Amino acid sequence: MAKRSLSSGRLLIACGLVGFVLTAAAVVARRGYGHQQGVRTAALEGRQVALESERVRLEAAIRDASSRPRLGPIAEKRLGMRVPADSQVVILSRATRSGGTP
Amino acid sequence: MVRLSRVTTVHLALALFALALIGQAVKVQLIQGEEWAERGRRQQYSQGAVAAGRGIIRDASGNVLVESRELMRLTVNLRDMGDRSILLRSLRNAGFPLEAIRQAADPARKWVDLPGLHVPSEVHRLLALPGVAARPVMSREYANNAGIRRIVGGVDRDGRGIDGIEMSLDSLLSGDTLLAAFALDSRGRRVDSPDGWTTPPRAGSNVTLTINRDLQEICERALARAADSLQATGGDIVVMNPTTGEVLAMASRRAGKGAVANTAVTEPFEPGSTLKPFIAAALLERKRAHPDEVIDTFNGEMTLNGRLITDSHKALRMSLADVIRLSSNVGIVRFAQRLTPRETYEALRDLGVGMATGVPLPAEADGTLREPGRWNNTSAASIVMGYELAVTPLQLVVAYAAIANGGELMQPHIVKEIRSSDGDLIFEATPRVVRRAMSPDVARQMRRMLTGVVDSGTAVRADLATFTVAGKSGTARRTVEGKGYVAGNYTASFVGLFPADKPLYIVLVKIDSPRGVYYGGEIAAPVTGVVLRAALAARDAALDRQDLADVKRELSSVDSSGPDADRAPERFGAGGAAPDLRAQRSAAEPSAAPVATASAERTPQPAKTVALPLKRPARVTDRRPRPVPDVAGLVLRDAVRALHNAGFRVTLANGQSVLTLPPAGTIAPAGTIIKLQHYR
Repeated sequence: MAKRSLSSGRLLIACGLVGFVLTAAAVVARRGYGHQQGVRTAALEGRQVALESERVRLEAAIRDASSRPRLGPIAEKRLGMRVPADSQVVILSRATRSGGTP
Repeated sequence: MVRLSRVTTVHLALALFALALIGQAVKVQLIQGEEWAERGRRQQYSQGAVAAGRGIIRDASGNVLVESRELMRLTVNLRDMGDRSILLRSLRNAGFPLEAIRQAADPARKWVDLPGLHVPSEVHRLLALPGVAARPVMSREYANNAGIRRIVGGVDRDGRGIDGIEMSLDSLLSGDTLLAAFALDSRGRRVDSPDGWTTPPRAGSNVTLTINRDLQEICERALARAADSLQATGGDIVVMNPTTGEVLAMASRRAGKGAVANTAVTEPFEPGSTLKPFIAAALLERKRAHPDEVIDTFNGEMTLNGRLITDSHKALRMSLADVIRLSSNVGIVRFAQRLTPRETYEALRDLGVGMATGVPLPAEADGTLREPGRWNNTSAASIVMGYELAVTPLQLVVAYAAIANGGELMQPHIVKEIRSSDGDLIFEATPRVVRRAMSPDVARQMRRMLTGVVDSGTAVRADLATFTVAGKSGTARRTVEGKGYVAGNYTASFVGLFPADKPLYIVLVKIDSPRGVYYGGEIAAPVTGVVLRAALAARDAALDRQDLADVKRELSSVDSSGPDADRAPERFGAGGAAPDLRAQRSAAEPSAAPVATASAERTPQPAKTVALPLKRPARVTDRRPRPVPDVAGLVLRDAVRALHNAGFRVTLANGQSVLTLPPAGTIAPAGTIIKLQHYR
């Protein structure tokens, strides 16, 4: 009888130990996964910042390239374009349903 | 003596070991807990200041003028670098200066701060090396436009505004700086962790200026061409909406690369004849003269207190209207003798001469207007001719705006609105009248007189074929420090009201020290014409097309010598002796064009008007402000239609979602241009 209760006690302890090990392993795995995801997220955030920075630079370059000081001389010299006289500008007026000015 | 079995001894040893472990744990956790926790935090987290991005500065149409982006400042810890040859090769490939590479190769050095700020994509190979650390730095990306740079200013290394709008609105533009904690991995890289800092710092507020980028570029180009062709030392162009006080463009140019000041507000000048209309307005306001009243002008020569006053356009007699039209010094001095010095002073003071306008730009100059008690015996004559006082170009434009809008001196403003980074409205500019400077009737009479200046006076070169332009030219001698007035050194200027009947623009053009021809009507007035033609042809130059359609002249009324060339003399019914300069110029110098203006001036007039198959609708009168409709979720076509139906104009921009600027719900006047951001 006493021998039986001793073996069931050991079994309980063993089960507890196994449970502890499994739980600890799960916690470690979860933390490891979390850390890995954190590194990935940080890397993606860095990439987002880099791309955002690149976007700002490219948009500024586009604005610069499409500005009048850049395009005006090209349009005049290469394409022979010119600023029209005021008499050549047709002003169209158009009413809207709500009475605003489009 | 008790003999312990081997098993008991082992058990005791294990028990003692366990006790020692527990004791150590108690010591570490309870006694030294704080110290170890702090040491752990130091190893696993780093603290640092995180600055939020500064706000975006846009023009009135929503075009971005300045925005922030994150760049990297690199540091190399050379002790962590095993083989430096890889580092040196990477530095060479990335285009670092030789000095930095030499420092990195120096075996005595422990670390190197690499120069410059870098886009991460350009230095990603370097960042992969051990020991290379990057510190994010917010950098400002400015429009590559000198004029806009003069207005928006700049920031220093620490991101604080040091000039222009960046300086005056620094507290609003700069975001919060937070002390943040970051989790670090074993290599010292930042890792996202719930234990670290999570709340992002609040970005700075976004500022929308009243400046119109297209018009600004038009002005800068016109000024650059004029200054180059005239070999001038500099110049300024200011364009303002006289009804709202919005500054639409402010271009400045000075010789020398280092000249970056916004001289339209910082550098006063003697306005010369452009000041005469204000004296005429003071006379009319006090009923001391009438536009048709004629006085002797002594064939353009008069001596007053030992000083000889002369006219360029000589006549025996002139009306007040002709005195303005032909810019007679003798005439204005004679008429101004009807005003006391105090009245002259007060008239000019009421128009803002000698007082800073209060526009939010640093270092705005007050100008100069001395009290009558400090005048000498020739000061009264000098002042009414535009000497012995100084105004900034912006002050002069504001004063002319009073003539244009019916007599009200407007508070000029350059900031249209400020919104928080969340889109909440913090500030919105509204037109503000400082004071009434003249009655509406006097302002109307003055506009008629100024129309005569462009019709047949000193500034016919500012005229347009299909619109009436009013204005006044000025040619003032310039002083040189220590030498006084120097022969051949002039300021040529012209202030135009466009269109004359219902001005939408006040345009000031000022050219400093031009070579050769130096009259304002000859060189500054044509530049105004160039600006106006380009603005009319531009897609969005802050012009209300509906208003323009109403005042546009029919081409059939334009004769070969120009529009309404002979109207002015009869209009005021007095200038029999005063010459019509348009007719004189047509005969004497048919093609002289001292300034290389835009090729539009060479454009032949069209032979006929093309009738478009469009039905002109009834004039829209409902201009009341209304809310911008919510177009979120609509396809582009429907969104545009909804905005048009609500009475707004629409300009398109690429974006990540269908959004409007100003946002939905904002109260805006009918006809306002709404920037519609949409998917491409």
